[in-house]
Amino acid sequence: MSTTSDVEPVRIALLEALRNMEKTWEVLAPRYGVTNPNPPWKTSLTAMCDCLAASGALPALDRRRAEDELADSVYREVPAPERQLLALVHIMLSRGLVSETDLVGRMRAVRSRLESA
Amino acid sequence: MSKSKPLKKSPRTTGHARFKVGDRVRVKDLPNLFYSRTQMYVRGVVGTIAACTYQDVIPEDEAFNRDGRLEQYYIIRFRQKDLWPEYPFDNDTVQTESPERWLEPAEK
Amino acid sequence: MSHTHKPGDGGAERHAAPMVEEITDFEVLEIAVRELAIEHGLFTAEDHRRFTEWTESIGPAAGSRLVAKAWIDPAFKARVMEDAVRACKEIGIDWAEPTGFGTPSDYMNLRVLEDTPTLHHVIVCTLCSCYPRPLLGMSPEWYRTTNYRRRLVRWPRQVLAEFGLILPPEVELRVEDSNQKCRFMVLPVQPEGTENWTEQQLAQIVTRDCMIGVALPRPGRTADIHPVQKARRPVQSSEHSGEPAHEHDK
Repeated sequence: MSTTSDVEPVRIALLEALRNMEKTWEVLAPRYGVTNPNPPWKTSLTAMCDCLAASGALPALDRRRAEDELADSVYREVPAPERQLLALVHIMLSRGLVSETDLVGRMRAVRSRLESA
Repeated sequence: MSKSKPLKKSPRTTGHARFKVGDRVRVKDLPNLFYSRTQMYVRGVVGTIAACTYQDVIPEDEAFNRDGRLEQYYIIRFRQKDLWPEYPFDNDTVQTESPERWLEPAEK
Repeated sequence: MSHTHKPGDGGAERHAAPMVEEITDFEVLEIAVRELAIEHGLFTAEDHRRFTEWTESIGPAAGSRLVAKAWIDPAFKARVMEDAVRACKEIGIDWAEPTGFGTPSDYMNLRVLEDTPTLHHVIVCTLCSCYPRPLLGMSPEWYRTTNYRRRLVRWPRQVLAEFGLILPPEVELRVEDSNQKCRFMVLPVQPEGTENWTEQQLAQIVTRDCMIGVALPRPGRTADIHPVQKARRPVQSSEHSGEPAHEHDK
């Protein structure tokens, strides 16, 4: 019976370093008095999941099975939608769709770009 | 978005549905070679065809981008009492959707 | 691609509030992985833009309008039951968006489940959390959890009771598991006392939870309110035990 996904419920160092519970939307939004129940990147994340499924790069059922496993294990304590984001990246790293090295480098560049804007 | 394909509501080459609304069917317990959309909780259970929905490529073929066979999909209604031991409410039901190849005729 | 949505469908879901004034690693991560994905050819920027716009445009107001119109207009209701995707176009919802043949999760096979006084429907996707997004917008978090998905099929009345909905035992409770390409939405029974209401008044009491089936519409109930329960404790799966769990996500 094939109900296991191909994602390892192990911790990925990069993602562990990113999972700051103090910076989740459910903590930050009230602090800034923002009433939107979702962070502004949630729709982009949703669109990304749809695009990955539409192109065939990451079918929805594969992604959701892996996400379920990760949500019940590695990212259990993380609130949605951060949990969904971390799980997606975890799956993409596991499948070699992106690399940790590239991600670290790109995050650095993106942050620098956003902070100088 | 080249790999998403529209569903075929009107029959293409198949045009034939083995079952009709009201038929009693049993869900086969086929081996899962890959991800299957046939849930474990309906395997081997007898239900009633509630609706014919559309014809489509079977998911297991689609997952591997084969030009798969077109077949009829159905909504099947199960009594909860047939799914779970000692389910206490007589009238409750569950409906799920299934492609034809997962179904066989049932007598009762 | 044209937007045929009425104003307020997706807009009603957005809040004009000041933004959080810091750049979190989560925000940076989402951008970074998206850019890399596009550069690796996993999808195009144009497709992502189109899907993002679509995601921002959807919301449950469309479903509410459909239900209210079906209550007021029996001929419309008949068209909904005959071909729901076609009937949606009458209220400005096109299930073909944004690709021309639907999304890879919603497809184009909507079936509306009509409740009666002796039949109540509730929807779930046990496999992954498929949901009629063109009509209801993004699914609520509790709908996506394994907690809801595993328990609703096995213990439906207990799960509904946790939402505050208790049905008489003789009523048929029908759980609809959307495990293939059909998508479902519940058309509840119009509540007593609303017979002379306008379509707008009726739409206000048709909340998202009513169209999933975990609530019934009633006068005065214009919002879905759940008890706040943080899922930090382990979830007991009741799938094979004799007891339904009592701790869960909402």
